[in-house]
Amino acid sequence: MKGLNFRWAILLLAILLALPTFVHDTFVLRVITEGIMWIGLAVAFDVIAGYTGYLNFGHGAFFGLGAYTVAILMMRGNWPFALALPAGGVVAAIAAFIAGLPTLRLKGPYFAIATWALARAIQQLALMMDITGGPDGMRLPALLNPQFFYYLMFGVVAVTFTLLWYLLERAPFGLKLKAIREDDLGAKALGLNPTKLKMQSFVLSSIPTGILGGIYAYWITFIDPASTLGDMISDQALVMVVFGGMGTLLGPVIGAIVIFSFKTLFWAYLSDYQVLYLIILGALIALSVVFMPNGLWGTYLGKRATRRKEKESTGEYIDLRVAQKEGE
Amino acid sequence: MKSRIRTALAVIASTLLATAAYAEEARNFFKVGVVTELSGDLATGGNVTKRGYDLWAQEVNAKGGIDIKGKKYQVKLFYADAQSNPAAGASAAERLITQEKVDFILGPYSSGVTLAVAPITEKYKIPMITGSAESPLIWTNKFYYTFGTVPPVNFTGAAPIKTLSEMKPAPKTAVILGTNDTFSKATAEAFKAAAEAAKIKILKFNIVPAGQDLTPLLSAVRGMKPDLIAFGGHDEELIKLVKALRQINYTPKALLMHYGVTEPAFIQSLGKDAEQVLGASVWTAAVQTKGKILWPNAASYAVAAEKAFKTPADYTQAGSSAAGIAFQAALQKIGATPGMSEDQRKKLVKALEEIDVETFYGKIKFATSGQYYHANVGMTPLTIQIQNGKVVAVGPVKNQEAKPQYPMKEWKNR
Amino acid sequence: MELLPQALIDGILLGGIYITIAVAFSLTYGVMHVIDFAVGEWIMFGAFAGYYLNKLTGLDPFILLPAVFLIFALVGYLVQPVIHRVMSGNRGNPLLMGLVFTFALALMFQGVALTVFGFYTNSIPSTFSEGSILIEKLGLSMTIPTIRLAGLCYALGITAMLHYLLKKTTFGLGVRALAQHKDAAGLMGVNGKRTGAYVYAIYVGISAMTGVLIGCIFSVSAQMGAQYTIFAFFVVVLAGMGYLAGVPWAALLLGMVQSIFLIYFDPGHTLLAVFAILYTILLISPKGLFGRGV
Repeated sequence: MKGLNFRWAILLLAILLALPTFVHDTFVLRVITEGIMWIGLAVAFDVIAGYTGYLNFGHGAFFGLGAYTVAILMMRGNWPFALALPAGGVVAAIAAFIAGLPTLRLKGPYFAIATWALARAIQQLALMMDITGGPDGMRLPALLNPQFFYYLMFGVVAVTFTLLWYLLERAPFGLKLKAIREDDLGAKALGLNPTKLKMQSFVLSSIPTGILGGIYAYWITFIDPASTLGDMISDQALVMVVFGGMGTLLGPVIGAIVIFSFKTLFWAYLSDYQVLYLIILGALIALSVVFMPNGLWGTYLGKRATRRKEKESTGEYIDLRVAQKEGE
Repeated sequence: MKSRIRTALAVIASTLLATAAYAEEARNFFKVGVVTELSGDLATGGNVTKRGYDLWAQEVNAKGGIDIKGKKYQVKLFYADAQSNPAAGASAAERLITQEKVDFILGPYSSGVTLAVAPITEKYKIPMITGSAESPLIWTNKFYYTFGTVPPVNFTGAAPIKTLSEMKPAPKTAVILGTNDTFSKATAEAFKAAAEAAKIKILKFNIVPAGQDLTPLLSAVRGMKPDLIAFGGHDEELIKLVKALRQINYTPKALLMHYGVTEPAFIQSLGKDAEQVLGASVWTAAVQTKGKILWPNAASYAVAAEKAFKTPADYTQAGSSAAGIAFQAALQKIGATPGMSEDQRKKLVKALEEIDVETFYGKIKFATSGQYYHANVGMTPLTIQIQNGKVVAVGPVKNQEAKPQYPMKEWKNR
Repeated sequence: MELLPQALIDGILLGGIYITIAVAFSLTYGVMHVIDFAVGEWIMFGAFAGYYLNKLTGLDPFILLPAVFLIFALVGYLVQPVIHRVMSGNRGNPLLMGLVFTFALALMFQGVALTVFGFYTNSIPSTFSEGSILIEKLGLSMTIPTIRLAGLCYALGITAMLHYLLKKTTFGLGVRALAQHKDAAGLMGVNGKRTGAYVYAIYVGISAMTGVLIGCIFSVSAQMGAQYTIFAFFVVVLAGMGYLAGVPWAALLLGMVQSIFLIYFDPGHTLLAVFAILYTILLISPKGLFGRGV
């Protein structure tokens, strides 16, 4: 099973790397680039929401901070993009640290609302300050090279995914997070430090988000508080993660692909019915929460596990024990 | 599961291919791309521009099409929704240009989306005229392929202040407020600049966050007893402001807003409290214009619009229809036929720059240099006022439909 | 200084509006542990119901309040079982699921409202919205808009009624028991499912009535919901989630901060100040102003 997955991954990687050589249509490439961005945002969101169990409604703020950092450094500081982009990730990480200090001590609902308030506050700041251009936003020089942005977006998301796969599925880190999510006190009793782990997870989730925001700014060439610091980014990421399956690595990827394709097709070919989009999207999430609480991928994993359990009844338990050992 | 994904991918791929194939057929009509906000926060305005563009296309096609050297070419509009989001706007423009292979583009409602779309049209060298976006920022960026028929807010905002300064006695003090978004902030700043030029003392100037209850602020304003209260904002905020003034019972001598007062919702929801509110606009249904193309004057356009959509036309809608007319005039001038080459599109831009044409909307003439680069500067900004539930022009004097009513009647005596 | 009394009055009146937004919301959280993202949308639907009922009957919106309450209480009663299902049974993170589900509801409601009501802004006329009380004494001048005063009275009335319901009736006893310990309350014979449905019904009904009030004071539009959701969240978090007695104080504090900031500081930074205060309070006392949240 593992070998098969690996072969599939190599094949997929090869196809994605070669993609711009056979997709010449710039619009299609643009759509795929944006799709990859959403995959990255959803996967990063899942680190704190799914694995750690903290719903972060400020995810969009990290994205916007990355975008604004790159824009400000490039336009006001004359930094090259190559230097400004990592700075976007760093600023997002610092913001996550500051935001996490009070909020990560809170329980789930407080955290959700506090991060939301924080995101709003950052949006207000961007609206008020001069350096951000206020409500007028900022324009960046247009680098109209679709291949560049495709490879950059793809590269960042691929690295993020691989890193998270290692940390969350291979290294003990992922299990520790899950332990906190399931039982905070119990995890403490095991000698884990929940506050520190939660902070690590929060910062880990913010860095790729900030970098993706930075790429977005340079790619779209125009950012303003409404589009980059609004609720839209967090909301979409949440929808994708829930639909695909929280707390899994592939779930958000699948969720992002399905929701983004749906959105794009709806937008391109059914724009007369655009008002219905919100209703359909809402219904989709509501139904998936009611009937498929673990999301597409989570439900599939669950079914597979049950099937296997039927075959060899102890499989699941052995898995867990081995994992526990790794955790210490 | 996997086979289902494969089927879905196949469907997506075939639809994309189908559209691509469709775009390459030879044609005898103009493909006009429209990028505007059909959904999201700005959908109200986006749909106003859509009505304007639709009405233009209907009228052109009803007359047989655009007459190019004796042969008539119909126009077909291809919409792409910008979802009130700059990124979606850029995608929309790229789709229209590369998939639909449109000849030219009618642009977005908002300035933000226009700023994201403009680099795409520059890249593919496709001319675009927006019938609505009016932030001064667009024009200072000097996009070669982007034009606009609605003059920038700093161009229109000065008119009502000038009208007021001719009143006797003229307002001496003013409080100027604005909501914190691109359009509203620019409006408030335009009011401020004009008031300073007219030697009106500004007691307070504030930009406030959207969605904020302004009553406490207005209570403070009430103590200053300003003659004029000027406010930059969209319709919802305008309605809230009037209601708040009504609730604290302060009537300034003049209450000035921008074009939002021309929206039917403003008069409908405020009723008699909407009376005598002043605004700025470049077009009303009663403005005196002589059109050479399509509609002979503003009144006939207003009738056509009312008939088509059952809603009165405002200046954004008129400006959007006028954007179509501008393209039409330029196309006729250079004799371009559908499926234009890059060279012809460059010529089209040149022709647009040289255009100087009278329309039902007013004179269209795009600036070719300076801070208004490629914005329409042929118009006369108007001062408008709500009188008896109707929007009428009260200034400047030569465009007057009625005398301005000043000072405002007390709320409680209405 | 002469503006101070006015600033305080404005703050109290604004706080009154926040009380009505947050009080039932807090109760629902306390009992059902659901953070209802659709609170603003219920307010919006209520506002539209008031708008159309007023157009249809010509009655003053304040007279229409009971009708609006009954209609929406019924809707809430019918919706609650679905939320209950989402949040119970064998699910990984019920709280998160509830949040996501009501978020989906909010999206759907917004879509429905935009389709049915369109994008335009409306307003509900009321006899109260015309006048104001002017007090001029000791060189101070203060205005109290009657509509806002009516709103404050409504807010206090609702709070008093909820208080009575919770503290003096058997139903209230059940509700409090549920809020304290779900399983134990069940053992003592409290029907958790039905009580939850009643509480949610009351909450939706009150939110809808609040919508009518907001339609009179401010405006009615399909996109108005989100901003009131924010204020509801604010007040409830500030008060301590589910701690009902804290709501009026938190609401008044929020109203006061906004009013004073608008008058004495840069109005542009008002919302920023509000967010900063929330953040600081959570930093110092994570369970709200009184440390009594659950």
